[in-house]
Amino acid sequence: MKIIVAEDSVLFREGLVRLLQDAGHTVVAAVGDAEALVAAAEQDADLAVVDVRMPPRGDDDGALAAVQLRATRPELGILLLSQHLELRHCLELIGTPGFGYLLKDRVLRLDEFDEALSRVATGGIALDPEVVQGLVRSHRAPAALAALTPREHDVLALVAEGHSNTTVAAQLVLSERTIEAHMRNIFTKLGLHDDGATHRRVLAVVTYLESAGAD
Amino acid sequence: MSPVLARVLTGAATAVALGAVAVGFMGGTPTTASAGLGASVAVAAGWVVLRRQPGNPVGPALAWSSACVALVLSNDVLAASAYTRHPLPLAGIAKQWWVGCWPVNLAGVLALLLLFPDGRLGGRLWRALPWTYAAATLGMIVSEWGGRQVDGQIAGVWSGPREVIGTVSMSLVGACLILAVASQVVRYRHGDQRRREQIRWLLLAGAAVVTLLIAGWVLQSLGVVIGFAYAPFLSGIVVLLPAAVGVAVLRHDLFDVDRLLGEGTAWVITLVVSAGIYSLVVATLGYAVAAGTGLGNAAAVFLTALPLLPLQRHVAGWVGRFVDRDRHVAVAEVERFAADVRTGRRQPEEIEEVLRLAQRDPLLRIQVVRPDGSWGLLDGRAVVAPTGIPLEAGGDEIARIRLGWDSARARRRITALAKAAWVPIEVSRLRLVLREALDEVEASSHRLAEAAAAERQRLERELHDGAQQRIVATGMRLRSLQRHLPPGQAAEVDTAVAELEETVAELRRIANGVRPVRLSDGLGAALAAVRDASPVPLSLVVDEPDHLDEATRLTAYLVVSEAVTNALKHAFARRIDVSIAPHGASVAITVVDDGVGGVPAVGLTALRDRIHSVGGTLKVWSPVGGGTRIEALL
Repeated sequence: MKIIVAEDSVLFREGLVRLLQDAGHTVVAAVGDAEALVAAAEQDADLAVVDVRMPPRGDDDGALAAVQLRATRPELGILLLSQHLELRHCLELIGTPGFGYLLKDRVLRLDEFDEALSRVATGGIALDPEVVQGLVRSHRAPAALAALTPREHDVLALVAEGHSNTTVAAQLVLSERTIEAHMRNIFTKLGLHDDGATHRRVLAVVTYLESAGAD
Repeated sequence: MSPVLARVLTGAATAVALGAVAVGFMGGTPTTASAGLGASVAVAAGWVVLRRQPGNPVGPALAWSSACVALVLSNDVLAASAYTRHPLPLAGIAKQWWVGCWPVNLAGVLALLLLFPDGRLGGRLWRALPWTYAAATLGMIVSEWGGRQVDGQIAGVWSGPREVIGTVSMSLVGACLILAVASQVVRYRHGDQRRREQIRWLLLAGAAVVTLLIAGWVLQSLGVVIGFAYAPFLSGIVVLLPAAVGVAVLRHDLFDVDRLLGEGTAWVITLVVSAGIYSLVVATLGYAVAAGTGLGNAAAVFLTALPLLPLQRHVAGWVGRFVDRDRHVAVAEVERFAADVRTGRRQPEEIEEVLRLAQRDPLLRIQVVRPDGSWGLLDGRAVVAPTGIPLEAGGDEIARIRLGWDSARARRRITALAKAAWVPIEVSRLRLVLREALDEVEASSHRLAEAAAAERQRLERELHDGAQQRIVATGMRLRSLQRHLPPGQAAEVDTAVAELEETVAELRRIANGVRPVRLSDGLGAALAAVRDASPVPLSLVVDEPDHLDEATRLTAYLVVSEAVTNALKHAFARRIDVSIAPHGASVAITVVDDGVGGVPAVGLTALRDRIHSVGGTLKVWSPVGGGTRIEALL
């Protein structure tokens, strides 16, 4: 994959670039602030890994740049990295295809991180469990989700984080087939019809997060 | 009046005064000679006025007020000599108007009354007055033509037309004199401040003359020789009156004439009343018990002395109301204001406006001392160099009153007013000092709260962007190295990286305690975490106002989380309702629980301090068994 890295801390940026290169990716640009990121996004790339807090303001400039890039380059996957949850300016992106939000230390789990990169680059989503928890718990249980059983809730929450059926099954200590059955029930209950699996999964997650956000 | 004419007239008066001295010596009548000498005092005063104000007819009028008397006395001597063996020159004509010329005595005083203090006659009516007086004098002379005095008594009585002319003329003379006095009353009533002060000098001299006359009566009643008893009175007329007129014209604000006049009059009245009491007591006791004994006199003196001082004070106040009405009213106004301040009807800070009105000086300013020795106005503005009348309390200067219109008189007036205004001024000063101190305390605690909030934010950032970032970067380096290690050692690195992840999570928790990171996403986001941690149902309604500063936002968060902790820990609440809403320019926080209640009124000190540090207020309702309601306004 061709990746753009935007991170102001030199130490972190170089570490990240090396990890990405070790994993066989091509880093087409490694920049230190939001303005340089927008300029670098002119190049051909699959994905931008962006730190939320960056110059020039030293605030959540990375999130603002992500919103801007989504408008100008919708096909570019964006993975935001942050030291802590700071969702002010990227709430509208959460749950949309090709967007991810992870805490920075998730980088250290190489396999999971690499998986998240691939998902976001191919139009999937990757949300940190804390983001999902923070968003879902912050709001009343929405009407559309009221029909789901607690188990289906758990499954959908994990899917919303961007997990595949396999990893969801591993986490809940269930068989993959059970997860598939749960997913079918969820799709039915949310009124989503089968017109391409990935798309339906994304819609389910969007419903989940949107109804959570529509307080 | 042209200066030349004024000098000629004054010169004539001088000649008459000197002539009286000469005639007195020639005729062997020392009384006339001394009258001429006495007249020279008024003549000299007239010259002084003339020298300073060359065209002012008050100068000649003053000279003639005494010279007229000297003139008549001289005529008496000449006329009397006509009936002796050695008549003096002009005795022939002098004896003809000997009896009838007496109105001339008062012609100078009449002129003075009509012209004083600025030398102008009033209207047409007043212009007619001198001519009427002259005609009346002429009538008097005609009616008494050829009359003769024997041993001071008029010899012979006229009848027929001469009697009619005499009666009419005498009435006219009386009417003219009364009108002349009235002219001064009119001038006083219509006059400005300066004119009034000048007339008050005349009044002062008049009051002194009356006092001396009363003293004359008293002395006479005590058996003093008449000539000696009335000497002060006569010299008062000859010396005091011209002196007062001279001062009035030349230096009307020389002394505090109002006070002199007021106190003088008050003492005269007190003396008269005391004398009355004395006579009454002597008479009563004489009839009743100890007629003519020393005991009776002593009792009379005692009983007279008893009411003397209180009486004087009352009379002084009473007289002040008439004689010095203006200042009396002004002082009363300020005193009434001070009483209103005591009863809480008015604010002491209004004192400046009250003094401005009382002093009739819109530019008057009160400057007060602050505790650090600097000076300021009552509205708090600083004053670099204070000026004006100092005001002291317990030996320390507390204020100065600066006048827009400064004069000796204005200073005396403000001194009297300041005495009445002392308490409101001191109270205003203390309130100003207190308010400034409170403002300073409030500002300083707000600054501290802001600094603390900024410090928390800085610390949180440093934990996140410094330590946490470094640890993660180190972890990434380990991961890179791991690739080149044999499997056994690679597993070691996994453990180390897992440790690092734990450390990062730990740091994140610590940073969150320093300042909840979700605060950047708004109060609602940060408080959602508080709600999520609550073991009992907690409803949260947050309508956060825009542009809350960091200190206020952090305080709001901490207030809610502390109140929630209290409700859970101490009140055993089963339900908590939290709401945050804009309230004008501030934010209102309400936390209600259904716990045991009974929070003491003085409790929640930490919460209170936290709220006060950003200039907020706290209200607590907590009936025993009725839950607790906390309302904070930040």
